Amino acid sequence: MSKVKTEIPWVEKYRPNSVKEMALPTARLGGQRVRLAEELMNFIKLFFEERKRVNAENKQIREFNRTVIEKDQKEEIKIPSEKAAILLEGPPGIGKTSIVYALANDFNMDVIETNASDTRTRATIERRLKETTKSRGIMDFITESKEKLILIDEIDGIYGVQDRGAIPTVIDLAQNTQFPIIMCSNEYKTNLQQLYKKVRRYEVHPLPKQEVIKIAKNILKKEKIINLKEEDLELIIDKNNGDLRGVINDLQGIGQGKVNGDVKELILSLRRDNIEEIFSLIRNLFQVTSLREARNLMDKSDVDYNFLYKWINENLLTFIKSKRELSVAFENLSIADEIFGRIRTNQYWGLLPYFFDLFAGGVALSRKETPAPKGFRRVVFPRYTTGTYFSLTNVEKEFIEKINRKYEISQVDFIKDFLPFLKILCGTSRKQLKSISDWLELDAKEKKLLK
Amino acid sequence: MNEEIPIWRIKYHPKNLDQICGRKEVKETLKHIIQQKNFPHMLFVGSKGIGKTLIAQLFSKEFLDKDYNANFKLIYANVPLNEEERKQARADAYVSTSKIGSSAGRRITTPAFIQARVKPFVQVKVLGSAPFKILIVKNFEALGQNQQGFRRLMEIYGRNCRMILITTKISSIISPIVSRCQIVLISAVKLNHFKNLINKIAVQESLEVSDEVVEVLYKISEGRISRAIDLLQLSSISGKSIDMEKLYENSQQFSNDNIRSLLMVAFKGDFPKVRELSRKIISSYKYDIHEFFKFIIDEINKLPLSKFVRSNLINFIADSDFRALEGRDIDIQISALLSKICLFSEFM
Repeated sequence: MSKVKTEIPWVEKYRPNSVKEMALPTARLGGQRVRLAEELMNFIKLFFEERKRVNAENKQIREFNRTVIEKDQKEEIKIPSEKAAILLEGPPGIGKTSIVYALANDFNMDVIETNASDTRTRATIERRLKETTKSRGIMDFITESKEKLILIDEIDGIYGVQDRGAIPTVIDLAQNTQFPIIMCSNEYKTNLQQLYKKVRRYEVHPLPKQEVIKIAKNILKKEKIINLKEEDLELIIDKNNGDLRGVINDLQGIGQGKVNGDVKELILSLRRDNIEEIFSLIRNLFQVTSLREARNLMDKSDVDYNFLYKWINENLLTFIKSKRELSVAFENLSIADEIFGRIRTNQYWGLLPYFFDLFAGGVALSRKETPAPKGFRRVVFPRYTTGTYFSLTNVEKEFIEKINRKYEISQVDFIKDFLPFLKILCGTSRKQLKSISDWLELDAKEKKLLK
Repeated sequence: MNEEIPIWRIKYHPKNLDQICGRKEVKETLKHIIQQKNFPHMLFVGSKGIGKTLIAQLFSKEFLDKDYNANFKLIYANVPLNEEERKQARADAYVSTSKIGSSAGRRITTPAFIQARVKPFVQVKVLGSAPFKILIVKNFEALGQNQQGFRRLMEIYGRNCRMILITTKISSIISPIVSRCQIVLISAVKLNHFKNLINKIAVQESLEVSDEVVEVLYKISEGRISRAIDLLQLSSISGKSIDMEKLYENSQQFSNDNIRSLLMVAFKGDFPKVRELSRKIISSYKYDIHEFFKFIIDEINKLPLSKFVRSNLINFIADSDFRALEGRDIDIQISALLSKICLFSEFM
């Protein structure tokens, strides 16, 4: 029986029980550095205060509504969504889920979790969560029940046909909830933009290296592993790049195997799907010489293709230099994009092979005359995204409001006609810039638009 | 009031109908209407930037007089709804379930634009002593299919609210709307009126402007007075006397020229630079992709290119435009087009 016990993953075994005993990652809220644990505690406390207030007021409103006709009835108030839900965003394995569980433990709450392993269609989310969020069960009246905390993990994993309609449901949930909601996500996604507007978004950063070393050593001590060298430990930590969960998993992998001989090779063989894999995939892709190789490469990797062809778009330039070859590569990529669009709108999933061949093989094989680039090439993130429609930043909106006090102009005319002129005018001399910004009473941020 | 306005375009912005440069006939008809205290729905037609909206606005100001603020609204058909308006429109589109009758719980399918921007204004009764409200819809052609929604609206609420629709292209307005409106053609300002205006500004700002220069300015600005004044101000910075060179130099900097410079870089065949530039242009001017392609076509038609190059380029643009319609990633389509344009550097 004791054997079973040792086989629970160390990650679960060493999951912190309280916020106090955990290594806290640093976090940012809108660029400002904040203390994550305190923010989260405040959030939960505030939520319950707010809920108490709102529920009390709603009770009064309900009583009032009973006495008047339908026309005069007041609407019940709700907890504002930014007070009801928050989003933690950061790379995998830095303790987002752990901190939520630790917090729930501290407050003596139950965690209701849904993650990417559940299909998250509208119906299933509603079934799982809505009833718990809206009402409290009969048992709750009889026994003194625990409060609940809702954790929607891996929310960026919501996409595709299976999870259709999930985002609106989550938003809806955040507006009608009776329990605080914490969501976790790994990266910024455009299809989550709706959600970003509604909730507070914390960027969680990886732990510093010293912290990770400290935790790792602690675990090694408890597990009585002594023959792991200091430099090997550092290798593991470097390889995982701040991912504490990855470090612990690696330690378990090494610790439970035999730890003599060449540990280094063992460490390097413990690969995990992360950004580095995409990097090397893209590097390898541009080295292929036949369509079959390209296909094999794509088959082996399980990187999200949704996303991979955007990486290729961003990094094409580093691998292909000749103009003629570039245009062929982009031609193939653009046809791939067109096909992908058709697949997504009409659900023609049968077309997917063409998409793969075009964006992987078609792009990589567009190189005919020049040899494959040698040596290391830097691969960059696909950072650039275009908005789908005319959307203004907040600074631009405020700017237009200020101008409109003195001169009526529409948003469209402003961006396309007036702002270019102002830029040129202000570019002529510093005096101009000063007189104009003084006259329009602009602040520093808005002044930047003029430069 | 003593404060000097640093932007001339705002400084010389007309404050009433009389101050508008030229366009005598239009002004007279409008003044006649003001005396009559009545007018049908109107459709203002004229090319871009010549002051249609300004005339309509000043006209309504004088027509409504002291009730102007409460009874006037100007909306832009080409500015998309923001989140709140969208939400409001969706909420309004539901008929309450508690109401009894055939329409209980049914969703009304009025376009969100009309639901959020137009209806709340036209449905409210006139305030004060004005005969009716005035609603100006700018860039009406941008509504496309939603124009249909205006047909009944103009009839049902016509008594309460008159509309002035403003458009650059009368051909893209559906005929039922045209038949409901009095059409007012607004021409660009005539050269002699333009000269008067510029000379007046020149006197006030103590500039030296020769007649020749004014004529060139008139041509460059394509009848857009605000553009002309902008140019004048830019040219005046480096000295009080204004000559042709300065004008040309400054007019080079204006907006559509960034697409020309993009094409120029592309014709040199430097793709990485082109891509960077195009991303910068699109994010700062917020072009829609189809708009962007249209500008490129416009520029290509203006440039001195051989028949072969021109026809091929147009073919490529059409192809990319279509793919952008179907595809998911705009940036890929733009990059693909630009990479093809880069190939033509050999023909330059």
